[in-house]
Amino acid sequence: MKESSLPVRNGQFNVDILQSGDGLPLLFLHGIGGLQWDPFLERLASSHRVIAPRMPGFGGSTGSETLSDIHDLVYFYLDLLDALDLRDFGIVGHSLGGMIAAELAAVQPERFTKVVLIAPLGLWDPEHPVLDFFSVAPAELSQAMYFDQKSEAAKALASTPQAKLPEVDPDTEEGKAVIDFYVERAKSMSTAAKYLWPIPNKGLSKRLHRLTQQTLLIWGADDGICPPAYGIDFMDTLPNATLHLVPEAAHMVCVEQPDAVAELVAGFVGEA
Amino acid sequence: MKLEMFHLAPYRGLPDDFREKYRSVWVDVPSHLFDPEKAHEYYNQTLDELVYAAEMGYDGICVNEHHQNAYGLMPSPNLMAAAMARQTKDVAIIVMGNSIALYDPPIRVAEEMAMLDCISGGRLVAGLPVGTSMDTTFAYGVNPSIIREKHAEAEELILRAWTEDEIFSFDGKYTQLRYVNIWPKPMQKPHPPVWVPGAGSIETWQQTVDKGFLYAYLSYSGFKRGQKVMGGFWKNAHAAGVDNPYQAGFLQLVCVGDSEQEVADKYGPHIEYFFNKMLHVYAGFADAPGYRTIETIKAGLMAQTSSFGRPGAEVASFEQLKEQGNVIAGTPKQVTEQLEYVIKDLHIGHLMILNQVGSMPHELALENIKRTATEVVPNLRHIWNDNPEYTDDWWPSGALVRDGAGAAV
Repeated sequence: MKESSLPVRNGQFNVDILQSGDGLPLLFLHGIGGLQWDPFLERLASSHRVIAPRMPGFGGSTGSETLSDIHDLVYFYLDLLDALDLRDFGIVGHSLGGMIAAELAAVQPERFTKVVLIAPLGLWDPEHPVLDFFSVAPAELSQAMYFDQKSEAAKALASTPQAKLPEVDPDTEEGKAVIDFYVERAKSMSTAAKYLWPIPNKGLSKRLHRLTQQTLLIWGADDGICPPAYGIDFMDTLPNATLHLVPEAAHMVCVEQPDAVAELVAGFVGEA
Repeated sequence: MKLEMFHLAPYRGLPDDFREKYRSVWVDVPSHLFDPEKAHEYYNQTLDELVYAAEMGYDGICVNEHHQNAYGLMPSPNLMAAAMARQTKDVAIIVMGNSIALYDPPIRVAEEMAMLDCISGGRLVAGLPVGTSMDTTFAYGVNPSIIREKHAEAEELILRAWTEDEIFSFDGKYTQLRYVNIWPKPMQKPHPPVWVPGAGSIETWQQTVDKGFLYAYLSYSGFKRGQKVMGGFWKNAHAAGVDNPYQAGFLQLVCVGDSEQEVADKYGPHIEYFFNKMLHVYAGFADAPGYRTIETIKAGLMAQTSSFGRPGAEVASFEQLKEQGNVIAGTPKQVTEQLEYVIKDLHIGHLMILNQVGSMPHELALENIKRTATEVVPNLRHIWNDNPEYTDDWWPSGALVRDGAGAAV
């Protein structure tokens, strides 16, 4: 995997790009948890040229302060795709990244050959409210994100330093670690809040009909963030979509079942 | 020295098992616990207590804004202030304040405060806070990532609406208006004094100094923890050559009685109600992502200064709270001595005193107000008199200034 920083719009943004593999290009847009090169992306890179940008406001990617809403964000991504010289390719988005992928495909449907939305946000169904992931305690968040609470990822999330917040001394090593965690959380989650606060409906349902290309929806059967009922809501509006439920997985379906999800995606996008 | 009585208008009738049964007193406090018959009593008692505080000799009376909570029942403090303006003649009416990022367009706040200033005869203090995370981002749905920028823009618009002589247009990021021309304008010129309630954001220290506003630290952590925050404010102020204590205020819970035992017996349960129920805020609501600035997080300040959303915080007893300085309680002599220490140590010219706290019933609140106002307040007013350079430039021009005995000067 190769990591680089790409200036966009004359340096207004500097975007971390993780890339690996050969073949047809495949763009991956990460979710609210941020971007890590994980087994899912590694597996996809065995059959495709995977390009994974890190969203401004997350980690080292800069320029988020110039973006206010989903409209600004879409035009940033169009500039990014121009800078990467990407046309006629498949796009995969997870969670917030799925919402952005759907927005991009609605604006320029001809640019994307295939669209894969993995547990995308972007709709609001009062019968099945999306969990308020901005406020829930780490243990509850972990329940919603992961099927297997005994997994390393779930345990790490459940024990994040938020639980220790009240008695932080910035002059100790532990205190510094808590503050570092909080700084990154404040940066990335307030970035996510621009597009998802207070509920993640910013009008996508009015635009979904424009996604005329083949679209694959993938959902963890036990997703506690946006339950699989949203898969049905997307299916109701998308003209050309199929829905695939993955068992033994929650919102982080591509982390919990990397091989199964990568196989689904590669097979779907690979059909030219 | 100015002493003001602060009232939260708390919901005084939460059940005994509230803390065990429910996760938060704010945002998602159970709706079925609200009884409008009780609220009718509480609102009228609150107004009576504030007016009584004015009659007993306090310099000002304070109200503030909170939403969707049992901690303070004043979504619109301006309604309370309107009643107070009519029922009092000479005290400062301190609205502490309006969370201006919540109102579209924010000139609504400029108009209502101008009305209050005209009705009261120039006695209004205008508090222009950001507001808590619970109130602004969760109850009112404002995006935490933009709230400070939106607040700054609203503040600029309100000050211009109050002060500019000509009709102007405003092309903001959050508010666009072709014609800004509020009727009425405030009676005080150039505008009512602006007090900024802070909760420990380090940018606020610098901004209040730069703009010449009063900085008021509102917290229930008591004066011992208050030293850290007020110390931060004064460090910034001193760097700018500012040393006037009247530019700073502090909030303190106060209970007065004949003996320590009597005070503990009478007030203890209500103080415990306040700390164990009224501050019982779900941690996730207390700090929406982006609500605190990165600089404030880096300074490690939020953890040490926030009164709300402290998960796992132990149930506190009256004796502990007294020991930690969260409440100052005792005989008039003991309270006077401790408050004199607090005032001098924090270098403040305004002390806002909570005399009605938590579940404290009306009669006991009146007694506490009377004893504080008549047996403590008069002995503190002289404190900054020996320095003629210390003038209170943050006092409304229509409000009375009293001497130690409570007479007009």
